[in-house]
Amino acid sequence: MNMEEMLVKCQFEQWLYDEAQLLDDIEFDHWFDLMHRSLRYQMPVRINKEGVERPDYSTDMFTFNDDIELLKLRVDRLKTDYAWAEIPPSRTRRFVSNVRVKDYVEGEKAVVKSYLLIYRSRSTDIKHDLISGERNDEFIFEEGNWKLSKRIFIVDQTTINTRNLAIFI
Amino acid sequence: MIKTDKPLEEMSKRQVVNHLYDTVKPEEGVIPAYLLGDPKVYEIEHEKVFLKTWVFVGHESEVPNKGDFMTRELAGYSLIITRDGEGEIRAFYNMCTHRGMKLCRADKGNKSMFTCPYHGFNFKNTGELVGVPLQKDIYGGTLDRTTMGLHKVKLESYKGLLFGTWNEDAEPLEDFLGDIRWYLDILVGRAEMEVIGVPQRFVVSSNWKVGSDNFVGDSYHTMVTHGSIAKLGMVPSATYSKRGFQIHTENGHGLNLGTPNPDFAFPEELKAEFKSNLSVEQYGVLSNLKNMIGNVFPNLSFLISHTKIKDQFISNTSVRMWRPIGHNKMEVIAWMLVEKNASQDWKDRSRDSFILTFSPSGIFEQDDTEVFTDITEAAQGPMPFLKNLTYNYTMGLHREPVEFVGPGVAYDDKFTEASQRNFYKYWLELMTK
Repeated sequence: MNMEEMLVKCQFEQWLYDEAQLLDDIEFDHWFDLMHRSLRYQMPVRINKEGVERPDYSTDMFTFNDDIELLKLRVDRLKTDYAWAEIPPSRTRRFVSNVRVKDYVEGEKAVVKSYLLIYRSRSTDIKHDLISGERNDEFIFEEGNWKLSKRIFIVDQTTINTRNLAIFI
Repeated sequence: MIKTDKPLEEMSKRQVVNHLYDTVKPEEGVIPAYLLGDPKVYEIEHEKVFLKTWVFVGHESEVPNKGDFMTRELAGYSLIITRDGEGEIRAFYNMCTHRGMKLCRADKGNKSMFTCPYHGFNFKNTGELVGVPLQKDIYGGTLDRTTMGLHKVKLESYKGLLFGTWNEDAEPLEDFLGDIRWYLDILVGRAEMEVIGVPQRFVVSSNWKVGSDNFVGDSYHTMVTHGSIAKLGMVPSATYSKRGFQIHTENGHGLNLGTPNPDFAFPEELKAEFKSNLSVEQYGVLSNLKNMIGNVFPNLSFLISHTKIKDQFISNTSVRMWRPIGHNKMEVIAWMLVEKNASQDWKDRSRDSFILTFSPSGIFEQDDTEVFTDITEAAQGPMPFLKNLTYNYTMGLHREPVEFVGPGVAYDDKFTEASQRNFYKYWLELMTK
């Protein structure tokens, strides 16, 4: 990896760390500002298949399949007094690692893969939930900022071991 | 008040059953909290409910082609469901008849043979044992393969919904379903239906009965638990959930039927198909349907939901199973169904409305799981039993049923607990049999 590639990688690592902080700090409006209007926000359902048959996830059923409007609805919902699933809000800690820049056109677009581990704690519960998976993100450069235009989160469990996904991935 | 000094865990099964008989009073609207928190009750339930009744295992459209298979669970035991070379759907216990190893560990796929990972015994998707490695050499020609086919599981379909049972003496599925079939026709018999993709699966720390109870008759919670939906303009008002009918039928089945609806909730272009599959009365209900929420005893819930998303009305149809994992844990498995002959645009919009509302990320679903978890936690341990804490199920006890075009006992709005009382009545009947 040359110096230029390292700087690009560093830039997206920082983006993902900043994003993680906004979500963990429950700054959903600021987080939403990071999204591009052409957003596709997906989490396919995993499937156990025979052998190495791929893809081992559904191509037509998702746990999230939002565009910018639906994502906005989720953010707005959390601000009503009736979003019981997040009253009190989950304490989350997002660990982002293994960041790899797959495609990059300066000032235009980028494709970035990363691993994500979310620790989730609810209320007084002494148990915690872990959600692990891989993010496949695409970015568009707009008005001096990188905006997320596509996210496909490939979760590692076929049966998700958390009571709901009232949180963002 | 019934008092006992003996904790449930020290009681024999017979004593627990007697205690259930003394303390569970569905007809009076009295349901004790320990039913949701006790491992012993759960154990008896497994034996007397889940090993006895028909339990949902999937939909025919999940194995559309010859050679397709899927693995499912029936009362805690793994099944392989296959569509054989003749197109027949069969179910087998997922256990090699030689030494008991699981034959298939994939969720789904297509193949006509299942090979055991232990000794390589080979079974056809009709259940026959067709291959044993080195058979002649090691058994000297004495192995009778014909007695070693896979254990068949009793499987029947109603309008594509597949149910299995371990009970050889179970009544025919149609009889078990009884009058709820009239409503299942509207749910899954109105048109050729198919499952989109694969079911959603997630784990909730809840007793399975909380889910069934919620879907069989609890529209009352919608105002508060799902208050955000009205705030977001997806339904007209918080009291939206009251209008309609609550209906229950024999064997603990029941539903809430939301009417009227000025906006036809289904694909317009399929009206002819709907009419050809339904009676005039059923079509009348369908064309005026706002939503339909119900439960087939014990743990198959069903739902037609109709909401406004992006200023457009769209319905989604789903079934879900509250699969018990323990007395305080269940796996929720949710299948989304759609009219096979609908336009791709309808299918996509319907799917995305399902994901937004009733998948694990769904904005209805999320708040339910929060409630289910806390209810279950509050029922745990010896205290709720020893203090005989009970839930109040008396809503609507004063009301008289009304005439309705469909069968069953109907009430003319959804805010009553008659369906839940009916659910627990049948549950108690099975438990104390």
